[in-house]
Amino acid sequence: MANVNVKVIDREPQSLWEKSYIPEIIRGLAVTTGHFFRNLNPSKEKRTTFTRNYPEEPTIYPERYRGLHRLMLRDDGQVRCVACMCCSTICPADCIHIEAAEHDDPTIEKYPSVFVIDELRCIVCGLCVEACPCDAIRMDSGVHIPPYGERNEAFYDRDLLMSMGGRSQAVQGGKR
Amino acid sequence: MPKVTINGTEIEVEKGTTILRAAAQAGYEVPHFCYHPALSIPANCRMCLVEVEGSWKLQPSCYSQVSDGMVVNTKSERVIKAQKAVLEFILINHPVDCPICDQAGECKLQDYYMAYDAQESRLRTEKTAKVKVFPIGPEVLYDGERCILCTRCVRFCEEITGTNELTIIQRGDAAEIRPFPGRSLDNPYSVCTADICPVGALTSRDFRFKCRVWLLSSTDSVCTGCSNGCNIHLEHFRNEVQRYRPRFNPDVNDYWMCDAGRLTYKAIHTDRLTRPMSNGAELNWHGVSGTAADKLGRAIEDKGTFGFVVSPQASCEDLFLARRFAKEVLGTERIYVGGNPDGFEDDFLIKADKNPNTRGLQTIFGHEGELRDFGALIDDIESGAVTSLYMMETQIPVATEESARFVSALDKLDLFVLQAQHHGELSTKAHIALPACSHAETEGTFVNFDGIAQEFDRAFAPLGESLPHWQIFMRLARAMNHKLTYTFVHQIRKEMFEDSAATEEASQTPAE
Repeated sequence: MANVNVKVIDREPQSLWEKSYIPEIIRGLAVTTGHFFRNLNPSKEKRTTFTRNYPEEPTIYPERYRGLHRLMLRDDGQVRCVACMCCSTICPADCIHIEAAEHDDPTIEKYPSVFVIDELRCIVCGLCVEACPCDAIRMDSGVHIPPYGERNEAFYDRDLLMSMGGRSQAVQGGKR
Repeated sequence: MPKVTINGTEIEVEKGTTILRAAAQAGYEVPHFCYHPALSIPANCRMCLVEVEGSWKLQPSCYSQVSDGMVVNTKSERVIKAQKAVLEFILINHPVDCPICDQAGECKLQDYYMAYDAQESRLRTEKTAKVKVFPIGPEVLYDGERCILCTRCVRFCEEITGTNELTIIQRGDAAEIRPFPGRSLDNPYSVCTADICPVGALTSRDFRFKCRVWLLSSTDSVCTGCSNGCNIHLEHFRNEVQRYRPRFNPDVNDYWMCDAGRLTYKAIHTDRLTRPMSNGAELNWHGVSGTAADKLGRAIEDKGTFGFVVSPQASCEDLFLARRFAKEVLGTERIYVGGNPDGFEDDFLIKADKNPNTRGLQTIFGHEGELRDFGALIDDIESGAVTSLYMMETQIPVATEESARFVSALDKLDLFVLQAQHHGELSTKAHIALPACSHAETEGTFVNFDGIAQEFDRAFAPLGESLPHWQIFMRLARAMNHKLTYTFVHQIRKEMFEDSAATEEASQTPAE
């Protein structure tokens, strides 16, 4: 076995005051009660509470917040995704389902005929965005995953994801 | 035997060995595109250049033979520079459309770029546009931009199939592979060109966009298309077979397999019988074995009228238990042979006998008296000599009009038990239909036309509630109070080999 540096910590024995229990309980309750009355203060700034009245008071998300997925569009409004399966391969939660097909348009060889993300299964890690070679999937919608009444509502299909999408600045297919 | 030194490793190789092979024996990989062990050597890709001491120029290692005292360096600075230059040259007009290319993941250009090049493109002009998605044959598609003109496919058609469909047209950066005018790449082995293509220029139409290759799991298996028994990589993803790819075995199929055999995987997932049925009602195994035992028990009492159809589609182990079941449990002597009818045959790999295990069946039932012809069964049912029938698998080895006669004759039977993979006319007629699983879902042995016994492995769990044939026999035997107990296939295999000296003799030639 490797050498392990063990640091022995002396535990201070409880004093008689602490052992007598009641005074320490009163001290603890005093802290709690102090917080309680401080948070009844009508002025919001003087409160110390961290809870919010969501959704009436929405949180301001940081700029790189990963929200709901969206699928980006080509210049003619078609889906940018070429169904390379990089996102579904890297996805640790296995929540992306893609079926590739041949497009009628001869300039587009491969496109996703089915693209479904199970948003309930998604762990919001953002690896799909990292893996995408053509800037087709993003998580910059700024919307966080809403509560769902039914399981099916969490399956976001291609058209729904595209409706949140926009045009990308990147050149489709890369520079030739 | 000449002695050579490769990267400091001294090795003795046979006379006439190429440097590339000698390096492989010494444990050094030399990258190559155009060289294929089964084809002639054109040395046109220049990827395998190595430095030979004493020679002024770098030598193509796939072509140059070793001589005694040769000192070779495959990793010198000059070689690395040459490899980078060759890859950069190949990549000038390569579209780098890996995201939509089916070869991505098993592409040599991709692998070698990562291993030997890994530099940014210095190209500042536009790439040459060439033909995309060109239907070069009924099973194969060609992409001119991805092609690196290694001519493996051209040589395959010249040397292996001898059909000479392909050639290179144009020159320089306009060069492309094309079939000769009026021809198309339609020989029965055409998809092998997609296999040997080191890049994604030739791709299989069947596998197109179906699954990324890095998601596939591979299981060593044997093709069931004909009695040749080509060794295959059975590649599957999420309990579904995605494709067959030939597995090298010099005794059976070398590096190749036929297009028809490649497509036989489709049967594994079409019209599968997934639940036991009794008179059209779905049951569970417990229920159906009780019912079947009851019905079979009553049928056995009518001595001599029980027919049993064995199938050369099943493995040796399944057939061995089928024999024990027929003899010991049913006590029948009337054993008929099912299976597919004969079909197309050529002088290379495709055999007329379209069943993978005819030799195995003959060996197992060989010393048990005569196996009867399927035609005789139809007559026997019509004449009333057979009133109860137990049938393995749904394939019938007779012509269409004869099989129609068989299907209508089935109505005469008092009891018809079918144990098969597939739904269909027969399973709807069956009083009891038991779901069996395919060769992808169990393990076993097939004996090919040449007497070579070849094992195949299990790829994934049985679909639905289907069971391997041998387990079904065991279940029914148990329900009928007979002892027929095995836990593993290898126990059956051992007993089978001990039982049958002939099979043992056949297995002397081991499969790869």
